[in-house]
Amino acid sequence: MNVLENLKKIVSDFLRGKEPYEIAVENFVKELQKTLLRADVNVKLVLELTKNIRERALKERPPPYISKQEWFIKIVYDELSSLFGGDIKPQVFPVKTPYIIMLVGVQGSGKTTTAAKIAYFYKRYGYRPCLICTDTYRPAAYEQLYQLSKQIDVPFCGDPKSSDPIDIAKKCLSYCINNNTNIIIIDTAGRHGYGEEEYLLKEMQDIAKAVNPDEVMLIIDASIGQKAYDLALRFHSATPIGSIVITKLDGTAKGGGALSAVAATKAIIKFIGTGEKIPELEVFDPRRFVGRILGL
Amino acid sequence: KDISRYCDNLLNELIESDVAYDVAEKIVTDIGNRLREIKIPRGTNVEEYINNIVIDVLRKLLDNATSYDFIEYIAKSSEKPVKIVFMGINGVGKTTTIAKVAYMLKKAGVKPVIVAADTFRAGAQEQLKKHSERLGIPFIGGKYGADPAAVAFDGIVFASKNRFDVVLIDTAGRMHIDVDLMNELKKVIKVVKPHIKVLVLDALTGNDAIEQAKKFDEAIGIDGVILTKLDADASGGAAVSVVAGLGKKIFYVGVGQGYDDLIRYSSDIIIRLLFKQSK
Ligand SMILES: Nc1nc2c(ncn2[C@@H]2O[C@H](COP(=O)(O)OP(=O)(O)OP(=O)(O)O)[C@@H](O)[C@H]2O)c(=O)[nH]1
Ligand SMILES: Nc1nc2c(ncn2[C@@H]2O[C@H](COP(=O)(O)OP(=O)(O)OP(=O)(O)O)[C@@H](O)[C@H]2O)c(=O)[nH]1
Ligand SMILES: [K+]
Ligand SMILES: [Mg+2]
Ligand SMILES: [Mg+2]
Repeated sequence: MNVLENLKKIVSDFLRGKEPYEIAVENFVKELQKTLLRADVNVKLVLELTKNIRERALKERPPPYISKQEWFIKIVYDELSSLFGGDIKPQVFPVKTPYIIMLVGVQGSGKTTTAAKIAYFYKRYGYRPCLICTDTYRPAAYEQLYQLSKQIDVPFCGDPKSSDPIDIAKKCLSYCINNNTNIIIIDTAGRHGYGEEEYLLKEMQDIAKAVNPDEVMLIIDASIGQKAYDLALRFHSATPIGSIVITKLDGTAKGGGALSAVAATKAIIKFIGTGEKIPELEVFDPRRFVGRILGL
Repeated sequence: KDISRYCDNLLNELIESDVAYDVAEKIVTDIGNRLREIKIPRGTNVEEYINNIVIDVLRKLLDNATSYDFIEYIAKSSEKPVKIVFMGINGVGKTTTIAKVAYMLKKAGVKPVIVAADTFRAGAQEQLKKHSERLGIPFIGGKYGADPAAVAFDGIVFASKNRFDVVLIDTAGRMHIDVDLMNELKKVIKVVKPHIKVLVLDALTGNDAIEQAKKFDEAIGIDGVILTKLDADASGGAAVSVVAGLGKKIFYVGVGQGYDDLIRYSSDIIIRLLFKQSK
């Protein structure tokens, strides 16, 4: 990988110390900026992050007893993972039941697939999930989630004849509760909310009001670019985002857009999607993700 | 020195518009070189003068991506039915784009058949079938788990027998680095022998757009791109990546979820997005 080679080269140049310390830091910061931009991290966020990193590197200087390389990487790692609230794996088990999760996100990001993946994940831990389809726009959205629910043998509710997602959400919530399920996962239609779609943000708000979710989960495609920040912010101001799932990390995209979404919403990343199949869901691991962003 | 500051700014702007980093860097280097060569006439507004040069460079580049129209192509083709295969990574908008293309063709008096060779993703068959019912266009599908190449072949046979003009073949979304799935796609291509191989790309994609296009092109050889979801306040950079990074054509762009939300590509559309005032 190019990125890896670049970073390694810069670190070793820096260690050989041909240039004065300050210049070495400057070069390192430049190369780091490139790496982050190639990974789709938001431009403003990159500038902010690298400003902090530069300041720390200049102020603190490497302590004598640890390798300079480790120390330098550590600063970068600290700054990036501080965005996630530190180097800790997320707590993914609900604090109460029944627990209501509502999935939102842009068209095609992977909401419906992730809804089924999450249901399957919790089912394996002994919970009783229930899946709800409130997407009344996309043709066969109902059939898609219905077929997935059959594959994992989880109760499912929706109404292919209705065009009122708020009404469906209310009715299906009672259905799920009455069926003695305890994790209720609500899939919603894809939306971006710009221009003519503005009204869809309002609709999303209305669904949330109707079901009062314990957690609104933003589904982000790993390949999304600079728009991730603004999009996440728009979603967040309509319905406060509690958690994030990054999908399609089995591709070549680094997933820096998700980092932007974290910065915009202050939400935690809970899961990542690593394939199309239902079991291909993992609990988010900050260390591995930062490694991926840095190309390490 | 002023030029290099200007170039740094321009680089950031292009990256903020989702032009892939390496592509943006190359464009900015070229523009920088050009700016160093020219003399700016006295009495002109320097900023405006330079901006016009930049727009000019980008427009020429984006003009190279202008391609033939499907309707023209089908009208001229001596071979019928014309076979068009749509491919791309998961969720970019392949199936919806096929419905839009079918609608456009039907309106132009061309007779299309829609083929659902995605036999994998849940609901994929029903999704395309509903579109074709709404549009009143014949639909050929297959059972889940069936061989996509066989389904595609059925569609072609049906179209030939019934004298349709064009077969639009939908394939399952797949990652460009998934060897098994790329081999499956190669088999579909081998059986179908398409006239046009379309890569569908999501305009919200960042640096990965070029990666996706490169890998599909290496494996299959794409004839051009359809860029979707431009209505999602996209900045158009993905188009620049594909054109400048790979020299590919762009057929159409998707600007919404309705059937008529498909427009013919032109450099204007992308230039407008690249230079719109960001809020
Ligand atoms: N390779 C891969 N594909 C995924 C992953 N997650 C979802 N997908 C695929 O992405 C495509 C879109 O997924 P959907 O679940 O339909 O997305 P959605 O957000 O519900 O789409 P809309 O409802 O239309 O907004 C499908 O082909 C899924 O199989 C993942 O982690 N990896
Ligand atoms: N806003 C907007 N949404 C679009 C556009 N094109 C497609 N979509 C939406 O994107 C989502 C995914 O579209 P599909 O056509 O199912 O995508 P696909 O590539 O066939 O997905 P897979 O077959 O699962 O890989 C749907 O919700 C579409 O309505 C567009 O131009 N603008
Ligand atoms: K873009
Ligand atoms: Mg969906
Ligand atoms: Mg599809």
